[in-house]
Amino acid sequence: MIKIAPAELTLISQYIQTITGIYLDQSKSYLFETRLSSIAEAQGCASYQQLVHKSRQDPSKKIEKDIIDAITTNETLFFRDKGPFELLQHKILPEVIDLRSAQAPLKTRIKIWSAASSTGQELYSIAIVIKELLRELSNYSFTLFGTDISDAAIAQASYGKYNRFEIERGLDKIYLQKYFTLFGDSWKIKDEIRGMVNFKKLNLMQPFTSLGKFDIIFCRNVAIYFTLEDRKKLFNKLADSLADDGYLVIGSTESLTGVCPRFVAKRHLRSIFYQKK
Amino acid sequence: MKNPSILAVDDDPVIRHLLEQRLKKAHYRVQVAEDGYVAEKMLRTHTYDIVLTDLMMPGDIGGIEVLEIAKEINSRIEVILITAHSSVDTAVAAMKKGACDYLEKPINFDELFLRIDKIANMQTILRSAQDLQVAMDTTENVASSTIQNLEMQVTGLQNSLDRIENILREDHVPDDIKIHHALDIIAES
Repeated sequence: MIKIAPAELTLISQYIQTITGIYLDQSKSYLFETRLSSIAEAQGCASYQQLVHKSRQDPSKKIEKDIIDAITTNETLFFRDKGPFELLQHKILPEVIDLRSAQAPLKTRIKIWSAASSTGQELYSIAIVIKELLRELSNYSFTLFGTDISDAAIAQASYGKYNRFEIERGLDKIYLQKYFTLFGDSWKIKDEIRGMVNFKKLNLMQPFTSLGKFDIIFCRNVAIYFTLEDRKKLFNKLADSLADDGYLVIGSTESLTGVCPRFVAKRHLRSIFYQKK
Repeated sequence: MKNPSILAVDDDPVIRHLLEQRLKKAHYRVQVAEDGYVAEKMLRTHTYDIVLTDLMMPGDIGGIEVLEIAKEINSRIEVILITAHSSVDTAVAAMKKGACDYLEKPINFDELFLRIDKIANMQTILRSAQDLQVAMDTTENVASSTIQNLEMQVTGLQNSLDRIENILREDHVPDDIKIHHALDIIAES
C-alpha cells in the first residue's frame, strides 16, 4: 500500500472535495490510503500527489470516476430506518396523491427524487411502498428518479441485484419473496419494480434545475459529508427543485437549523419532514 | 472464533459414523442424522452453524431439500454438500440455490476442516458486523430523536420570534400593549 505523505493530505482532501463535495479532514488519511492505493498502483503512480495530477490531466475522466467510486460510501439499506418509509406511506404519499389527483384525476403525475440513491435500495423501497399502497397504478404516472455521483453505484442500482447480507438487513421477508428473485447468494429485484424507477449519474455540487420540480425529495445522509457552506448551497438548490407544496425528507440525524431558512420542519409521529415556508 | 456446531446428514452408516468421529476428534460440536426427515426435525428443534449433507439420499428429502429447509429456517446456516463425482453438476446447481460449497467423495477431511474453519471465520466476522450494526443503530436512534426534538423546538421558537417581531413592528399599537403581547407569546413558548 502506498503511504500518504503529510504534505499531500491537503492537496488530496481538496481534490476530493472538488470532485465529490465530500469533505474529509486530514485525520482520515487511512481512508485515502485504503481506498485510493490500488488506483494509484494501477495507474503506476508512486504517490497520491502524482495520482491527483494524473487524474486532472486525464481527458477521459476515468481516474476521476474510479476515485469517486472508491471514496463515496455506499452504506444503504432497504427501508433503512423504517421512519421515513412509514412517513411516506401514511402521511406524504396520501397527501401528495390528494393534491395532485384533484388537479388531474385521470392521469395523476407525481415526481419523486432520491437525490443520493447510492445502490438503489432507497428508491426501490419507495417503489415498493407505492406498489403496496396503490396496487392499481394505471391512473397514476409516477416518476421515480434516483441519482448518485458514483458510476459504480448507479450501475449496481440499475441492475438491482443485491447479496443476501445487503438485503436481509431491513427488508421484510414478505417483501423479499414478493418483489425479488433468488439467484444463488443474491436477490434480484423483479421487473415490475425495476420498471418503475430510473437512475442517472449526478453530482449534487453541480446545478440540477434541468431535472424540473419534484413533489417529494429524499436527500438522506449525504449532506453530512459536506462542509456547512456546501450544505447550505445544496439545500437552497433542493428548495428550488421542490414544488411549493412538496415534501423533503432528510436523514434522521440531520438538521436544517442554520442550513436553510427556506424550509420549515414538521413532525408526523416519530419522523420529521420539511416543507417550504 | 467460536467452535461451530455442525449437523452431518448421511444415509450411509459408515460415512455417518466416520464424519461424526473425525469431526468430534477435531473438536467440532457435531450431531448426525440418518436421512432428510430426521435432519428436518433436528433443524427445526436445534440451532446449527453448518449443515453437512449427502446429496443423494433415499426418500423425498434429499440433500437439495435439506439445503432448502435449512435456509428457510435460518438463512445464516451454511450448507456443504457431499457428492459423488458423477453428480458434480447437481452440486453446482445446488450452489445456485444457496449452498456454500460441495465436497466430492471420498471425503478428504483436511479439506473439509479447512472449509469449515473458513465458514466459521466468515460467520464470526458477520456476527461482529451485526453487533456493530446494532450498536450503531442504537446510537443513531437516540441521536435522531434528540436532534428531531431540538429541530422542532427551534422551529417553535423561530415561530414565536416571528410573531413577536410582527407585534413589535406594528405601528398603531401603544408600546405597553405591544410588550404585553410579546410577553404573552414568550410565556406560551
